[in-house]
Amino acid sequence: MKKHIYLIAAFLGLGVGISQAQVQKGSVLIKNATVLTVTKGNLESSDVLVQNGIITQLGKNLTAPAGVNTIDATGKYLMPGIIDAHSHVGLDVVNEGSAPITSEIRMKDVVNPTEIGIYRALAGGVTVSHAMHGSANVVGGQNATLKHRWGSMDPADVIMQDAPRTIKFALGENPTRVHGRGNGIQPRSRMGVEAVIRNGFNEAIQYKKAWEKYNLAKVQKGNTTTPPAYSERLQTLADILDGKIIIHCHSYRADEIYMLINVIKDFNIKKVVFQHTNEGFKVAPEIAEYTMGASVFADWWAYKMEVYYSTAFNAAILQKNGALTSINSDSAELIRHLYHEAAKTQRYGGLTDEEALAMITINPAKQLGIEDKVGSIEVGKQADLVIFEGHPLSSYAVPQMTFVDGVKYFDIKKDNNDQRQWVAATEMVEPIFLRANEEANRCMQDVDAYFEAFQGAFLKEKH
Amino acid sequence: MNKQFLKAGMLGLLVAGWLSQAAVAQSDPTGKRRVTSTYAITNATVFKAPGDPGSKATILIKDGVILGVGSSLALPKEAKIIAGDSLYVYPGFIDGAGNMGITKPKDVERPKDFVSSNPPDEIAGITPWRIATDSYSGASTQVDEWRKAGFTISQVVPDGGMLPGKTSLMVLGEAKNNNLLRNNVAMAANFRSSRGMYPATLAGVMAKFRDLYQNTSLTLDHEKLYASNAGVKRPQASPSQVALSPVVQKQMPVLFTAATELEIRRAISLQKELGFKLVLTGLETYESVIGLIKSSGTPILIKLQVPDDKSIKSQKADGVTEATKAQYARVKESYDKALKQAAQLEQAGIMFAFSTTDGKAADVQKTLKTLIDNGLSKKAALAALTTNPASILGISGMAGTLEKGKLANLIVTTDTLFKEETQIKHVIADGYVFDYEIKKKTTKAENTSAKPEAAPNAITVEGVWEYTSETPAGSSGGEIVIKRENGVLGGTITYDDPTGSGKASATIKNASLTGKTLSFEFDVAAGGMSLTVTISGEINGKTMDGSLSVPQMGSFPVKATLSSPSQSN
Repeated sequence: MKKHIYLIAAFLGLGVGISQAQVQKGSVLIKNATVLTVTKGNLESSDVLVQNGIITQLGKNLTAPAGVNTIDATGKYLMPGIIDAHSHVGLDVVNEGSAPITSEIRMKDVVNPTEIGIYRALAGGVTVSHAMHGSANVVGGQNATLKHRWGSMDPADVIMQDAPRTIKFALGENPTRVHGRGNGIQPRSRMGVEAVIRNGFNEAIQYKKAWEKYNLAKVQKGNTTTPPAYSERLQTLADILDGKIIIHCHSYRADEIYMLINVIKDFNIKKVVFQHTNEGFKVAPEIAEYTMGASVFADWWAYKMEVYYSTAFNAAILQKNGALTSINSDSAELIRHLYHEAAKTQRYGGLTDEEALAMITINPAKQLGIEDKVGSIEVGKQADLVIFEGHPLSSYAVPQMTFVDGVKYFDIKKDNNDQRQWVAATEMVEPIFLRANEEANRCMQDVDAYFEAFQGAFLKEKH
Repeated sequence: MNKQFLKAGMLGLLVAGWLSQAAVAQSDPTGKRRVTSTYAITNATVFKAPGDPGSKATILIKDGVILGVGSSLALPKEAKIIAGDSLYVYPGFIDGAGNMGITKPKDVERPKDFVSSNPPDEIAGITPWRIATDSYSGASTQVDEWRKAGFTISQVVPDGGMLPGKTSLMVLGEAKNNNLLRNNVAMAANFRSSRGMYPATLAGVMAKFRDLYQNTSLTLDHEKLYASNAGVKRPQASPSQVALSPVVQKQMPVLFTAATELEIRRAISLQKELGFKLVLTGLETYESVIGLIKSSGTPILIKLQVPDDKSIKSQKADGVTEATKAQYARVKESYDKALKQAAQLEQAGIMFAFSTTDGKAADVQKTLKTLIDNGLSKKAALAALTTNPASILGISGMAGTLEKGKLANLIVTTDTLFKEETQIKHVIADGYVFDYEIKKKTTKAENTSAKPEAAPNAITVEGVWEYTSETPAGSSGGEIVIKRENGVLGGTITYDDPTGSGKASATIKNASLTGKTLSFEFDVAAGGMSLTVTISGEINGKTMDGSLSVPQMGSFPVKATLSSPSQSN
């Protein structure tokens, strides 16, 4: 009987809940493309076979197994799906800006798979984005790595479940403005930021010890040791100390970057990626030696005091010094042409095609801990692919089709005017403004109301 | 001798006590005391439960209990007879969760050492120890209105932040009585953050919910250890932890308000992670999660309302681009889908009930008819109003059907339910009979035709009315100017400008006079939104008494007096 209801439900299009845990995986043969593998050079006029979401064959004159569609990509370029290591697309909340440490916050709780920004990112060839907490706090929330499986209503379907945990840290002006100036508590200065981090880690060590002690004691007869208070905040910091979480730290100035390097050395933490890192070029050798590198803007600065000392050569200098470097968007607009952003490293720094493409594919994959799964076109990897008209680093490049796990989620030929997944029954249809919602999807989103509540400093810049 | 004297004395005291009680009753100064608590509705068409085809029977009730339903009942002399020959009787409706009669407790003053990153629970909207009865008034007009619509029981939910408190089950009987059926029915929860303090966002609310839950669980462990072993540190449960203990022990469900598909998923994922008992309420859009609701077995209370059709009505046929037309079509599609959701729940075999929160009592009939026109069976509609909420609330033994021994909660109608012309004549709640005036349906000509009435109505409606209304924001008022042009009622209304000081004015629309009842609508623009406010009131000479209803907020009493009548056409 139940089965029957399910069958009817499936027929009526109600059966979403049934196939919940199953993420869609596709099979496809892409023929005759210039394949830019990023890690294994370029393959002229070559084919890529995808079976059940995985790249199974690379070569020439491949034939499609029965039931597998063939796409002719003659004259076109095929590259790995672009990975954005800093984004806020697909999130209902960005900043829980109410406390200097909010490591208990999970961005996975607030993923919105229907947000149109995901589709627009796909149209720019981006298949994976790092949906981060904002930069209002010294230690922000735990981020979500998303796979842009557009069309599902279930957040679990767009979360890359096999990606490791990451967390947002933030140094400098944002946390000191929100908490110190806005709210009169630590941190008010860069020294305070360092103190908040060190105190947090030290408390986490105590927390971990208290639980170890309790867990040993509670099985003993006549135990009098009581359970310590639960704190996901401190547990998460303890997990960082145990190497289970990658820190992604919002930073601009060389001194604060070097400060955090000293902190992680003291606490024996290895997994740190610096975000923004506009003065990274000053401490490039240190970043290369002690961290998982930097994820930077191609050429974006001067939106507040700490971001004036900047150069478009930043990415190239970091790269030449051996620091793992990626180019990110931190913007629902830039995410749509990250290939263009990557190309700027050729104009400013003369990087090779492969080095420039690595900045938006395999390098961010390494910084997110997913380089064994995505980031290049190799047999055995997940089939996140983009077909370009024109070389992706050319000014005339236009993405044609974007695949995630071998499933095509964007096709420029089937790109309708209205690609929204969901429309409210009560929506008033209004004229469209091109620059509506420009404040959304930025690092300091959701903090405004917080400022207003305290009549605190209310500044325009958002990064 | 002594003993006997004592006995006589005791008896005397008892008699005196009885006499004095009787004396008070006899001189009831209000004159409102009812002469009997026994009623019989004779020879009515009775529908005992959803699906019952209806049969002629007499219902006898006494002291708030159904004594019998049948055709050969012996009626006691004190029974007041309600001749039911042309009437229809159904079980009284049950509101799965609502906020009728509830006022929001005053905000607590912030302590001097307030830190926004770690505020006291009470200030951050975490007040699980509060109980709805403390902020409930059975005398509220909202209760009157929902009872008039057929509701006899409501699970009232306290107002507040993320954990506002515990719900109470109230019978909507005589306001002066203690109408509590059961307290601490469920722990109310919302995805509602605290402005300018932790938890300030949805993400913070979810983290805080986990934190409160896990620490309550650990405190219970601590208390157990303290009870069994000597030398253990004294446990110090916080008020929140004490209140949340029955939730963690799975004795009390969490009543989570989740309007949208994403909120429903978030509540269910918290439930799966922590393991508490969950009931979802306030569902608005849920089409894509019907499968999940089914597989998780979560009881649900959907909003007793349909989406506002303002966006559909405002769609223009001409002078718009193809792109706009395509957008119109998507909104229309979404609107049509929304109306079919309740029917889809029925098809999927999910038991659901209604929540009156945010609904409009005056629209209940219309809303139910819309749901039925969109595929919901009448049987399922009645079940969602009676047996399903009874089952979800665990009161099937006392309510939901018309059976001997159950609460005397029933409604008496002029025709079968869910018909446009059917009106409710009596609602009996807790054995108290509430009578409602049956309006003769005026011909449609009055509302639609443009010709002036042949015989002038005895009721004067045209002219300038001065009105006042009582809302939670305080008393407000203005002028209503009613005119009749070419036989069609219209005019203007002034009201306190919500965006600042002074008065704003709006055009009256959809005005109608049915019997003595004048009703009309007008739009109020506030904060970029437009709300349609409905005023409906009964005219007696130069005064009008009625209510003002605002979508999402409820309805409030309104009084008006005709200061300068006009007779002009």
